[in-house]
Amino acid sequence: MLERLYSTRLRRQLVLAFVVAVIAVALFGILSVLFGVTILQYALAGFVVSSIVIVAAIGLTLLYGIRGFANFAYGDLMTLGAYIALFVALNLSVSVVWAALVAFGTLAVIGVFLEVLIFSRLEGRGPVPPIVASVGLALIIQNGIRAVATTQQWNYPVPAIQEIPIVAGLGIHPIRGIATLAAGMSFMLSAHILLKYTNLGKAMRATADNLELAKATGIDTKRVTYAAWAVSCSFASTAGVLLGLGTVVNPTMGFQVLLLTFAAVIVGGIGSPYGAMMGGLVIGLSQEMSVPLLLWLGQPDVIGLEHATAYKVAIPFMIMIAVLLVRPWGIAGRPPAFVRRVFILETAARALRSRSLPSRQEEGGGG
Amino acid sequence: MAIDTGFLVNIGFYVSIAIIFAILALGFNLQWGYTGLFNAGIAGFFLIGAYVAAIAITAPAPRVIIGGVTVYPGHLGGFQLPLVVGALLAMVASGTAAALVALPTVRLRADYLAIATLAFAEIVRIFAINLESVTGGTIGIIGIPRPIAFDPPNPFLTMVTIVGLGAAILLAVFLALQFISESPWGRVLRAIREDEEATMALGKNAFRFKLQAFALGGALMGLAGALFAVTLLYLEPSVSFAPSVTFSVWVMVIVGGWGSHRGAIVGAFLIYGLEWLSVQLKDFAPAVLKDSIFYIRLMLIGVLLILLVVYRPEGILPEKKRILR
Repeated sequence: MLERLYSTRLRRQLVLAFVVAVIAVALFGILSVLFGVTILQYALAGFVVSSIVIVAAIGLTLLYGIRGFANFAYGDLMTLGAYIALFVALNLSVSVVWAALVAFGTLAVIGVFLEVLIFSRLEGRGPVPPIVASVGLALIIQNGIRAVATTQQWNYPVPAIQEIPIVAGLGIHPIRGIATLAAGMSFMLSAHILLKYTNLGKAMRATADNLELAKATGIDTKRVTYAAWAVSCSFASTAGVLLGLGTVVNPTMGFQVLLLTFAAVIVGGIGSPYGAMMGGLVIGLSQEMSVPLLLWLGQPDVIGLEHATAYKVAIPFMIMIAVLLVRPWGIAGRPPAFVRRVFILETAARALRSRSLPSRQEEGGGG
Repeated sequence: MAIDTGFLVNIGFYVSIAIIFAILALGFNLQWGYTGLFNAGIAGFFLIGAYVAAIAITAPAPRVIIGGVTVYPGHLGGFQLPLVVGALLAMVASGTAAALVALPTVRLRADYLAIATLAFAEIVRIFAINLESVTGGTIGIIGIPRPIAFDPPNPFLTMVTIVGLGAAILLAVFLALQFISESPWGRVLRAIREDEEATMALGKNAFRFKLQAFALGGALMGLAGALFAVTLLYLEPSVSFAPSVTFSVWVMVIVGGWGSHRGAIVGAFLIYGLEWLSVQLKDFAPAVLKDSIFYIRLMLIGVLLILLVVYRPEGILPEKKRILR
């Protein structure tokens, strides 16, 4: 048993985690020495955004892996969760935590209904029809909310608390900071436990890996699909509530972070929950840490970019494009069998070879 | 004899916008219906075309400052090029943008391309809103010249020129696409859609064909943008180029039947007709629905997307089945 736990893989992962932690601490240390403590404030904001994106990305990638389609309604499912929690919190005057739990359960049920009503009919028709249907669903949810709850902005009924100062110029908000980070951590941990230590989680991973093989080994893939929808949508609701706590609740809040979530999923590798965690961290940190750089670019004597910080949402997109160019299966995803080699090295080798040799005829002409 | 031209101008406005949507739908149909490349960022290419054309043809627009407050940030411009040049520049810009977006993603599965293009469209919109010195910010570009300036201003004749110009462009695009799709190049695109590996085995460079088709579709969207700029005479970034434009074009192509050029045009006139009717009927709607009629319309588009894709994926005017002889 101990032997199984303390496997080579685990040891490698622990070493890797240690190295990453040391590098991160060193990096933030150097940065704060170079630029002062404010840089840590941006890093903290990055970790907070990351923890929201990670919760969302785990749910999105889980469904992506098992059902094989990009759920474009995911952002609006987040919005729906946030509004259900808001409705419960305002009308039943209970705490936001209970309201979030109600939203969690409701969205799980809604997710199963969506699979039964719409998406099960589109199985085996390629990736595009479910995308179209999910966009239809997104339009219905977003505009339904606008029609019912108006386009007004709402706030959760939480007590107004001051930021807790850590050192001068660096503070953390108890709800927007600590609670969000804690929620993100606990969702990461629960996803890990679900996937590694429960039969359902193992069945999910098997189904995501190879549907036919999973069926052949006797896994009830129908049940796994329903479970994936339930988990995915309930994670969406919690991400929505966290997002609403951090800013405000409005009808487009979810759609605005959908691209961020997709970027995290692709950077991490589609279908890989652990990749989604890493991708979310990369995306959230890079978006918030780019703010000081953009502010610098915005100074009149540098470039004088107007509204410079608005471009921070473009940074995750650039990282996503870079990942798609170099490693389309993501950081943690498994490359398809026929390219399971070092892609960059191979490209570089080919480039070198074509330069050193007299140019051969190009393979495979056009028309 | 005075004819009330107000109603005709209203109808003309519907036709001119429907023509623009028809060109968008034709571009998307070339990308998706013919080649199987699913574009979720139509609004982005449309925006690039509209802004490039508008900047190319408008008079200089300096910054307006009243009492130390910038009222209008001004925009890049003052080239005052003829409309034809503006439209060509718009096509080149949108086509290049489409090729650049497709470059990393077109080799991968359809959903990667969809995500990348959706993200691209949002980024482009963020730039249009925030890069004030080029785009005029949230106010946008105003004072775009009409194709023919009548003196004194005559809304009816202006509408006639716009509709005539649009109809001529639409006809030209339609005929060109009919020709292209029957050409060897169009056959290769359909072959790639049906079976990419088999096409590659026959010695066709599928990647290059896909890139060309995607860029050509993007260029058509740029052309639609240029036409939009001279039809509306002003551009603003937040509503005209929202993601819902992309989704409307999807419905048009799916309703018309993907892979059919005629279907795309019919779908555009039909779906934009519904949108236009909902605006016309707003005054007659009960008071409860008045404020939310816009949202209900978008919800209906969503319902239509789901119903069509589940029950009638081939549309109402599907591509004819080709029989091998």
